[in-house]
Amino acid sequence: MQNVDAIGSADLTGPTKTNYLSNGFTLKSWLLTKDHKRIAIMYLITISLFFMAGGLYAATIRLELLTPDTDLLTSATYNKVFTQHGILMIFFFLIPSIPAVLGNFLLPIMIGAKDLALPRINLLSLYIYWIGGALTVYALLQGGVDTGWTFYTPYSTTFSNSYVMAVGLGIFINGFSSILTGLNFIVTVHTMRAPGMTWFRLPLFVWAQYATSLVMILGTPVIAITVLLLAIERTVQVGIFDPAIGGDPILFQHMFWFYSHPAVYIMVLPGMGVVSELISNFSRKKIFGYEFIAFSSIAIAVFGFLVWGHHMFVSGQSIYAGMVFSFLTMVVAIPSAIKMFNWSATLYKGSISYDTPMLYGLGFMGLFLIGGLTGLFLGSLGLVVHLTDTYFVVAHFHYVMVGGQVIAYLGGLHYWWPKMTGRMYSEFWGKVSAMLVFIGFNLTFFPQFILGYQGMPRRYASYPAELQVLNIFSTAGASVLAVGFIMPLIYLVHSLFYGKKAPDNPWMLPGLEWRTSSPPPTENFEKMPVVTWEAYEFGEESGLDLDEARRRESVTTVS
Amino acid sequence: MASHEGTHEEFHYHAPGLQHQFEDMKQQEESVSIGMWMFLVQEIMFFGGLFSAYLVFRSRFPLAFAEGSNHLDPFWGGLNTLVLIVSSLTMALTVFYAQRGNRNMQVLMIVLTMIFGATFLGVKLIEYTDKYNNGLIPVTGWNKRIKDTGASEHTAETSPAKDAAFVLPLVETRTSAAESATHEIHPNPKGEFQWNYGSHVFDYAIEKEKTSGKAYLTQSERIGYFSNGAFDPNKYRDKIRIFFYIYFVMTGLHALHMIIGLGVMVWLLWAAFRGTFSSDYYAPVEMSGLYWHFVDIVWIFLFPLLYLLGRHFLHS
Repeated sequence: MQNVDAIGSADLTGPTKTNYLSNGFTLKSWLLTKDHKRIAIMYLITISLFFMAGGLYAATIRLELLTPDTDLLTSATYNKVFTQHGILMIFFFLIPSIPAVLGNFLLPIMIGAKDLALPRINLLSLYIYWIGGALTVYALLQGGVDTGWTFYTPYSTTFSNSYVMAVGLGIFINGFSSILTGLNFIVTVHTMRAPGMTWFRLPLFVWAQYATSLVMILGTPVIAITVLLLAIERTVQVGIFDPAIGGDPILFQHMFWFYSHPAVYIMVLPGMGVVSELISNFSRKKIFGYEFIAFSSIAIAVFGFLVWGHHMFVSGQSIYAGMVFSFLTMVVAIPSAIKMFNWSATLYKGSISYDTPMLYGLGFMGLFLIGGLTGLFLGSLGLVVHLTDTYFVVAHFHYVMVGGQVIAYLGGLHYWWPKMTGRMYSEFWGKVSAMLVFIGFNLTFFPQFILGYQGMPRRYASYPAELQVLNIFSTAGASVLAVGFIMPLIYLVHSLFYGKKAPDNPWMLPGLEWRTSSPPPTENFEKMPVVTWEAYEFGEESGLDLDEARRRESVTTVS
Repeated sequence: MASHEGTHEEFHYHAPGLQHQFEDMKQQEESVSIGMWMFLVQEIMFFGGLFSAYLVFRSRFPLAFAEGSNHLDPFWGGLNTLVLIVSSLTMALTVFYAQRGNRNMQVLMIVLTMIFGATFLGVKLIEYTDKYNNGLIPVTGWNKRIKDTGASEHTAETSPAKDAAFVLPLVETRTSAAESATHEIHPNPKGEFQWNYGSHVFDYAIEKEKTSGKAYLTQSERIGYFSNGAFDPNKYRDKIRIFFYIYFVMTGLHALHMIIGLGVMVWLLWAAFRGTFSSDYYAPVEMSGLYWHFVDIVWIFLFPLLYLLGRHFLHS
């Protein structure tokens, strides 16, 4: 029985109660489940598979780029490899990652609800994701696409001989998965909060998911219609993107980037939500500037819709449009900066413990800083002409997407692993792989800033010979990064079978998710909570047992 | 079994249709309502992409758009508008009767709504068939193939040969598509998109430019309709084809949503017939109503933007 007055008393010796994992072992009980936690686990498995597939493509790219010549692959094949790397990583890994796995699992628990508001829509979202993913994988196996993940016209409509339609259809279908998840989260946060859980007592992770969901709902339909128009034009060779018949290829770019820029905020806002949790909880200090962080998430979501033209500075759009988009790009950086300052202020005089999740959280702060600042360079009209379509851009977006969201995702996965699986992972191997990821990542992508500045174009299989040394560094870093990514796969799966059983609150934290068992029962709480404390309260008002907190070391240290 | 802290009640009355994740019907109704509105918001963004494409091309080539729009029959379009508005009335009445648990009236209203919906689709079929017969579907091969029998072709009433200097053609303005469609039969062996109705809007604009001295063509049009300084009917036709492409994609997508709406109505009819809805539980009817009204309002925007362009250009 959960007793909110003594959440520290982890009962490790009591009888095992039914939890969401033991509640039914048949395939049907999983595939037809309405339980958000089971749906989250199925998403976890699927996106891990997509991550590995996208990673294989990345490895291929880095192998090709070891030498200046186009020797490993032909240029035509290389086009397919980087396109497919982008499509799998963006649409099938990054966009679902935190919302579909951590958001699905934790959002209802964090607000004190039994489930999401619309569980069957949640299941439908998963099915749609599988269908879109299966179609895309099928198309990739048949021969793939070579247009770049950006599908620019008129190459994609008229000249490409690859499976544009099939992959486009897969992405179109997958978009509805995103929309339904976002819709579900918005409804849930509005109507399913437990008594006493006011908006400003919500964990910042929830605020971040809410802001992300706004972007998902407003932005994804636009890519849907864009891909639909692309598919129609490709099929019937009549449309609005072909200049030969009066159409406009730049219209495609506008419509495409109107979604795809907000999409990159889908690929960073959830990570920021995780980082807010990690920084505050592992400093054992109330987060600094709660309202500022909460509203900055909303601000990023809103302003993110106004800057799409910064992907089109050299496309021929008017210089005045360029100036407006450049200015707005500077503006949209401000809320992100506010978060960075607030996180730093949270760390100050905090009681910091360098557990694996915190290492990832701190890593996010450093890497997102670099990624975000280089985004400003790219948003400046003067610099962007030199840097467009070079490896500088590639390095920038990998810093924010991988150094940002992927690292936050790994941090969150480790942080909530005990809650989700009821097992403790190996802290030693966790720390080792966190360091490998950090070192490998920087070794891979920092040289790419220099390469881009020196003029190495992106999406080329060959480059001038004098740039080879930096490319070798980058590939070497990629191998370290690969090891860093593969290791969690091994020790996390290992922990499922051999890991120490997790107590309810292994990190001794006040959040609502730590006040139920690990793993939680199907209905999340034995008794629905009534919230009377503020978010991130580490004192006794939140019911946290401080003596237990001081004994935390002995509970959680595992080999 | 989760229960509220502090309550000792064991028995909870569950309203019919209450799902397990909700505490009470009020929470469920609020949730599905927000959910349906969020869904409609994303539908607006979906159609919005098409509206923005329309905006771009209409602002660039207004004359071609007006030219194409004149050959959509406002009678059928207007009839469809009326049909949909009345269907929204019957849909609202369905909700009204569902709230009162009046099963028979609910069923009647749903059936009427479906009849109007089907009427709308039937009219669209008539319109699309007319386009098919007259070579106005933008895709080659998707129009009626008419063999070239060698009979005299419809003499060009519009533009001069492309080599000649630009001459203001002498034309009569046409009044309705119906007139022009029945008079000449143009060969169309490949079922291509054809524009056989001249360039009356363009001619009118050119004339107004000459007489008033004000600009009646956009910059894009000054480039887009001309080759080597002369009016090029093929290029003009290309822009009109873009109008019809947008027309078919927008009305086609709308019709698809209409068909889905009819599917929803089938389910609703079955549920209402079984007496599922009452004053305790009528949210599904309300939500279906929201969807239906949304499909209606998209048409309200489509109709003037597609059917009523440039009507004032030509004498009626």
